[in-house]
Amino acid sequence: MPLAYSLPTDLSPATVVNASSLLRIVALALISGAAIASRLFAVVNFESVIHEFDPWFNYRATRVLASKGFYEFWNWFDPTAWYPLGRVVGGTIYPGLMATSGVIYNVLHALNLPVDIRNICVLLAPGFSALTAWSTYMFTKEMKDESAGLLAAAFIGIVPGYISRSVAGSYDNEAIAIFLLMFTFFLWIKALKTGSAFFGTLAALFYFYMVAAWGGYAFITNMIPLHAFALILMGRFSSRLYVAYSSWYAIGTLASMQVPFVGFQPVRTSEHMAALGVFGLLQIIAFAELVRTHVSSKQFQSLLYASVIGMGILGALAIVGLTYKGWIAPWTGRFYSLWDTGYAKKYIPIIASVSEHQPTAWPSFFMDLQLLIFLFPAGVILCFRELRDEHVFVIIYAVVASYFAGVMVRLMLTLTPCVCVCAAVAFSSVLDTYIDPVEPDAVEEAETAGDGAVSASSTGISTSSGSTTTSTKKGKKAAPAAQAGPLDGLVSTVSAVVSTKKGDKAQGIFGGDTRLAVILNALGMLLFFVLHCTYVTSSAYSSPSVVLASTNPDGSQHIIDDFREAYYWLRQNTPETAVVMSWWDYGYQIAGMADRPTLVDNNTWNNTHIATVGKAMSSSEEVAYPILRKHDVDYVLVIFGGLLGYSGDDINKFLWMVRIAQGVWPDEIQEPNYFTAKGEYKVDDAASTTMKNSLMYKMSYYRFAELFGGNQAVDRVRGQQMPRIGPTLDYLDEAFTSENWIVRIYQVKKDDLLGRDLRTANAFEQGKKRKRSKPMARRRAIV
Amino acid sequence: MLLLPFLALFFLPFCIAASVDADHAKLVQLAARNNGVIRLDEHSYNLLTNPKRTWSASVQFTALDKRRRCGPCKEFDPSWNAIAKAWSTVPAAERDSHFFGTVDFDQAMSIFQQLGLQSAPVVQVLPAADGSRRPASGRTNPIALDFSQGFDAGPLAEQLSHYTPIPIPYKAPIDYSRVASGLFVLLSFVAALRFISPILKSRWTWAVITVLTSLVMTSGFMFVRIRGMPFNGPNGAWVAGGYQTQYGQEIQVVSMIYGTLAAGFLMLTLVVPRQTSPSRQRMQVYLWTGVIFVMYSVLVSLFKEKNRGYPFRLLL
Repeated sequence: MPLAYSLPTDLSPATVVNASSLLRIVALALISGAAIASRLFAVVNFESVIHEFDPWFNYRATRVLASKGFYEFWNWFDPTAWYPLGRVVGGTIYPGLMATSGVIYNVLHALNLPVDIRNICVLLAPGFSALTAWSTYMFTKEMKDESAGLLAAAFIGIVPGYISRSVAGSYDNEAIAIFLLMFTFFLWIKALKTGSAFFGTLAALFYFYMVAAWGGYAFITNMIPLHAFALILMGRFSSRLYVAYSSWYAIGTLASMQVPFVGFQPVRTSEHMAALGVFGLLQIIAFAELVRTHVSSKQFQSLLYASVIGMGILGALAIVGLTYKGWIAPWTGRFYSLWDTGYAKKYIPIIASVSEHQPTAWPSFFMDLQLLIFLFPAGVILCFRELRDEHVFVIIYAVVASYFAGVMVRLMLTLTPCVCVCAAVAFSSVLDTYIDPVEPDAVEEAETAGDGAVSASSTGISTSSGSTTTSTKKGKKAAPAAQAGPLDGLVSTVSAVVSTKKGDKAQGIFGGDTRLAVILNALGMLLFFVLHCTYVTSSAYSSPSVVLASTNPDGSQHIIDDFREAYYWLRQNTPETAVVMSWWDYGYQIAGMADRPTLVDNNTWNNTHIATVGKAMSSSEEVAYPILRKHDVDYVLVIFGGLLGYSGDDINKFLWMVRIAQGVWPDEIQEPNYFTAKGEYKVDDAASTTMKNSLMYKMSYYRFAELFGGNQAVDRVRGQQMPRIGPTLDYLDEAFTSENWIVRIYQVKKDDLLGRDLRTANAFEQGKKRKRSKPMARRRAIV
Repeated sequence: MLLLPFLALFFLPFCIAASVDADHAKLVQLAARNNGVIRLDEHSYNLLTNPKRTWSASVQFTALDKRRRCGPCKEFDPSWNAIAKAWSTVPAAERDSHFFGTVDFDQAMSIFQQLGLQSAPVVQVLPAADGSRRPASGRTNPIALDFSQGFDAGPLAEQLSHYTPIPIPYKAPIDYSRVASGLFVLLSFVAALRFISPILKSRWTWAVITVLTSLVMTSGFMFVRIRGMPFNGPNGAWVAGGYQTQYGQEIQVVSMIYGTLAAGFLMLTLVVPRQTSPSRQRMQVYLWTGVIFVMYSVLVSLFKEKNRGYPFRLLL
């Protein structure tokens, strides 16, 4: 066999093996380093701060865990959330994340390393991303080989689709969940391949960890049964499958029921029924197989098959019947809305209102996955080519996850690992083919070259006979014909590829230039991928959203710190028992940073309570005031971006407040009333009266016009000119407005001491007399 | 002619006092005549909206005449009639305390003017203004229903049930043609199973299905479906400006680009190495490398079109 380039021949095989394993370890270490480093933009650009909304709750819970210990945390009742209801935190969360950081914290302190709990929380996600890279390496190794594994690890280490949920400071369940997801899948594949109950049990244990850490565990709960079911349908039932699945299901289900928040759901809800059903089916099939090996009669076997199918159908019917009877809860709203995409908007506006539950347009896919997104189908085809049991898993994963990612932006996260694996398989196949120095024998070259010449000339003849043209034109036509020449043999080659039999024809690449071209192209693409990932990570995914950044005219960075300014104002200037009302988005932040009781927060379990806040915000002052007083509200907090152009403010979210309130009080709050007669959503002079009288509008624009000192006031988010005379407030007092007016806090006035209506009292203070007909008449009489 | 309004004004108090019950009887009669929907003109509309009414009503304002070219009106009218018909089946005591009416623009233009209605269809609910069913909040002004969930009868009946004495017993009729076609497809599938089973057993059938699904899904198909985006923009533009949005045609273009790129890679790995002639192989290698490079540049420039701030570009 000729070689395209020479290899050193004086190396012993042992040296090669040792060197390659060393290189692998070095490569994995470097990948981990890159994965961690690229997630630190947020810390470098801003500071070591917890991001966004949910992480603030997780951080607060972790602080309780670290300071008071696990049992205190487990029994923690938080009276400040959902005032006046309170929240049993221990029983309503997935404790995996907090427990993980708690363990790390205690281990470090046992080693006399006094690390602050905040830093552990901030850096947990980058740390676990390194582990994710490693587990993806292990998973891909099972699919193809080590080199594909390394590529997959590198991809997932820096791909923006995963970084978006795991930058430093984004202390959320997903931070550790993707590692657990990939590692559980790896263990499942390992268990299936080896038929070992040990790996099945390990898979169950990591499944338990996953259940304790993230609500998305239902993805595993359904992926593994789906895989097993597909294998059964393909006639690939084996004792390996039986052992792996039974050990995973039995131990995993029992373990997952130990998490209080999950409880008896694994046997009572529809999400988990697929796993149970496949478990039953496997037992029936295993029994049938057992009988088959012991019984020889042909009739008996057919009878057996019929009974197996019958039992399967009966079992399925039993599950359906139990669901109708109410013994098994039907699909929950969040889950159901994945299938019936209009469901959430109709029945649970609160789910539809969350921005990460919106469907995904294609630019988001490209932004998050870049070149991986088109390598992904190629990788799937390569999986089909081999189609071992584990490839079936990747194929199912690819279909299911790409659908889910299309329906919800948030589920891009579950698609990302699969895309990385498939893309790595495709990419490493290209590299394998073109790096391999072995050239095939070119014995048939002369013959085939002659063949090509004949076909080319024949096409040439046909074109020339078809048209009587000048020679120059003929030459032009001959060129595409010759170009089509290499494609002639395509059909036969494709059919040879498709047949998947290892052909006895020699395979390989001739020459060095071809190798160089493909490899340079591939490396160029990889380089571009790295640049893209770095750019996206630094510009789009590293903003803490608690601290905002803008650029000064001279190019330097200007930090906008209004949120923390306002929350610390609350912390330092209000009594500890002061109840703060805001839209639910800011509940966790107020609890975490201001340490004050809130009416509603990001754990949206009580729709009515949220609708109450929505109603108060969207009603007039007179209607809202009794609601505020009844809920002991002392301060109302609104986010207003009109001055700065911060588009995520409350006026833009206002319609959702109206919609959610309308869902509970349809005869008091009606969405159409908040639009102008032409059906536009406006805040300027043309705004509807209901809009102008709503508490939210008044609080947002109170004294806004004064700021412009007689000039035309402009709302920079909505680009509308505000009326010259702004709204007035009778029942609330402005308490605090942050530097850039992003956060505005109002104090709710107490009842008037003289028992007057607050509006009248206010009018009296301003020196306006009540209009009475009698005094007027008297005065006139005097004159 | 001038006398008439004066007369009406003069008689108004008497009319109201004496005729509430008479009005009610009349409305019941009108409703019974037409499957539960009262065709309202100016006169009967005033009967229905009697300020001392003890009944509630829901009124559809529509423009069904062909000249008005109101597509949504025609779409909505059957749902409205179906709800009203469902309501006419409830016991008489409840039935006669809530009425369904239809005001057509061409029969009662003045009502539209009076209410300042600019568009149709509109559904208004008039709560009872007097008697036991007067709402506790005392609000008796009309409530407009929203069509945010479309013109289907089901959700609308549910919304209306908030205002009726008992929920409207509306059940969506079984769509027999759909059931039949479903059954037909299923049966023909079972019948053809023997012939198509080699196709079903072929892994490449499944490969094609899988790859097409994932290509279409990753090109934003679900976004277009859920949001109901049009296939094209106005004046033939097919790229929706903006990172968070897209048109239907972009699905096709983007999935084509993805597909070509994936095919390029597959050709390089699977097909090209089987080529036994070095010269042809070389040509194919350069061809596919070129295809990949060019298509990738096209993709990046398309992305740049959507996301203006994107700093990178290849050839284009």
